[in-house]
Amino acid sequence: MPNVLSVIGLKKSYGSQVAVAGIDFEVRTGEVFALIGPNGAGKTSTLRIIATLLTATAGDIKFLDHDLCKDPDFVRERISYLPEEAGAYKDMKGMDYLHFMANFYARTPEEEKTFVDRAVEITKLGEPLGDRLRTKVGTYSKGMTRKLLLSRALMTKPMLAILDEPTSGLDVLNALEIREIVRRYAKEGTSVLLSSHNMLEIEFLSDRVAIIDKGRILDSGTPAELKEKHGAANLEEVFRSSVR
Amino acid sequence: MKKFANLLKKEIKELVTKQLIFTLLFMVILYNFIGQVSKKEVQKIVGVQTISALDEDGSSGSQDLLKKLASFNYKIIDQSGKTKEQALESAKTNDSKLLVVIPKGFGDSLAALKPSPIETYSFMRSFSLIGTRGQIIVDRVIADMNDVQSNNFLKEKLPDFDPKSLKNPIKSKDFIVVRNHVAQGSANQVAGLMSQQSMLIPIVLMMIVIYSSQMVISAIAMEKQNKTLETLLTVPIKRTSIITAKMLAAGLVGLISAGVYMFAFKGFVGGMTGDLAKGTQAAGGALMRQLGLTFSTTGYIVLGLALFLAILVALALAMILGVLAEDFRSAQTMIMPLIFLVMIPYFISLFADMSSLSLPAKILILAIPFSHPFLVSQNLYLGNWGMIAFGLGYMFVIFVVLTIFAARIFSTDKILTMKLRLGKKKAAAA
Repeated sequence: MPNVLSVIGLKKSYGSQVAVAGIDFEVRTGEVFALIGPNGAGKTSTLRIIATLLTATAGDIKFLDHDLCKDPDFVRERISYLPEEAGAYKDMKGMDYLHFMANFYARTPEEEKTFVDRAVEITKLGEPLGDRLRTKVGTYSKGMTRKLLLSRALMTKPMLAILDEPTSGLDVLNALEIREIVRRYAKEGTSVLLSSHNMLEIEFLSDRVAIIDKGRILDSGTPAELKEKHGAANLEEVFRSSVR
Repeated sequence: MKKFANLLKKEIKELVTKQLIFTLLFMVILYNFIGQVSKKEVQKIVGVQTISALDEDGSSGSQDLLKKLASFNYKIIDQSGKTKEQALESAKTNDSKLLVVIPKGFGDSLAALKPSPIETYSFMRSFSLIGTRGQIIVDRVIADMNDVQSNNFLKEKLPDFDPKSLKNPIKSKDFIVVRNHVAQGSANQVAGLMSQQSMLIPIVLMMIVIYSSQMVISAIAMEKQNKTLETLLTVPIKRTSIITAKMLAAGLVGLISAGVYMFAFKGFVGGMTGDLAKGTQAAGGALMRQLGLTFSTTGYIVLGLALFLAILVALALAMILGVLAEDFRSAQTMIMPLIFLVMIPYFISLFADMSSLSLPAKILILAIPFSHPFLVSQNLYLGNWGMIAFGLGYMFVIFVVLTIFAARIFSTDKILTMKLRLGKKKAAAA
């Protein structure tokens, strides 16, 4: 499988504070690649750099063979980013928000409609948003807002969806639903780069995993490979073994 | 262009809230109401007013005085036959503004050219300046009568001379020169008219700058507070388009809000001064035209351009200040530096003459971009086109520099990392 993203020697510092200390990884087409690690490990900084929000201090990042730093517009047209603490415009109705976001990616009104229909379909899964899409986002629960944002992130079927803690702060049912949606879109060809400190979620979702701590990748592979290598029953034990 | 229009539409919708519409409507209604109330009060003052008069003398001199007062649109209630105390009581209850008491011997003293005292009792039912107008009129009538009395005496003693010339042997004819224009009038009058005319510019500028800047700062702060900024920065639209859309939306909504505010304010001021100022405005207008102190079409265009550039500078500066704000609440305090920058040149232009300021003060004033709309209006009157060009050019350069700086902030990590944590620093220090 060809790589959608390839990262070599990525470093990021905020003044004297080092957030990412030189990491290498790649994301292949249609795979779910996860960065796992504790808070402050460098996961969010890495995702923000790939989402073109932050600039790397050093390193080489290629997205579909395009230099990410030199051609951010090319990247933005083909990715979508769901930040950990994202929100939607509270005075907009859910449907208007989807149209507003789809308008940035669609070349024609028909394409915009396709994107919005796809997002509406995602919001109907599990506990559906239904008519709530016609009410203001400000009235939504956290789970409803997260589902709306995820549908926004996936509606364009991006080449790479960057999801930072996609189920952060959600209850079990909402978290399960969102994991299923991510899995489904990955099967349909969208590559996913996600971060989480929830090892069980990662084990369910990911094709490959990189364990990151203090800005460095300690180990990487499929969950099965990692468990076998470390003689562990689950990824939590793999993580504990890696950081020792 | 489609993406830009999409973003601009969203920005405008976000700014034009029910609260904004309600506030603007409330302001129009409130100012109009105050204006109407003031207008009625002014009409009352300009119209017939009641004065009580107790003429204890009953001479031709005292009658002359009362007739003269009546000619100033006063309704005189005669309190003859009452004691002073009774007249005071009666005047209190009949809503008189003033009681004039002419004592016995007034006419005789007047005829003998001796000091002839009268007493006036003003009923201060309110402490407004307009409420004291009755006293001013009485003083004027007495001054007129003094004049007539002394003229009669001089005419009698020196029949070959004009009493007016005798009392004022030196006469001054005042002229004002502005560039090539010469007109008869006093410099005080022109200065007063000029300050009236140019009062509007700082008010307009203040309103637009405050409204627009607050909107830009709030727009960015709200994106941060609602956690929508990160998502917006990763969609395929140029960062410069994000800045421009926010500035344009805030500029448009700010301009309309300021327009509505000015409309409301005009209703308020019109009510206050409308009837009193009509005569003086007409005479002043003629004098200003004679002196060439009115704006031509070019003048208005240049002034409009200066105001427009000042607004652009304010918006670009607000954009940078907005990035520093962490949330909507801190955004409210970010507007303060901008207000100070507008207020400084306004107050200096009120109390000082630019040309007579010391060099450091002059440099400070010229360095503040918001000084230039004030200076442009003055320089237009005086034909200083060099200074006008400098002012416009300077504001344009500042706008470009600030916009490039804002664009750089939006294109780098600073948009997410730049913060001003005044409150938190204080808390930490505590």
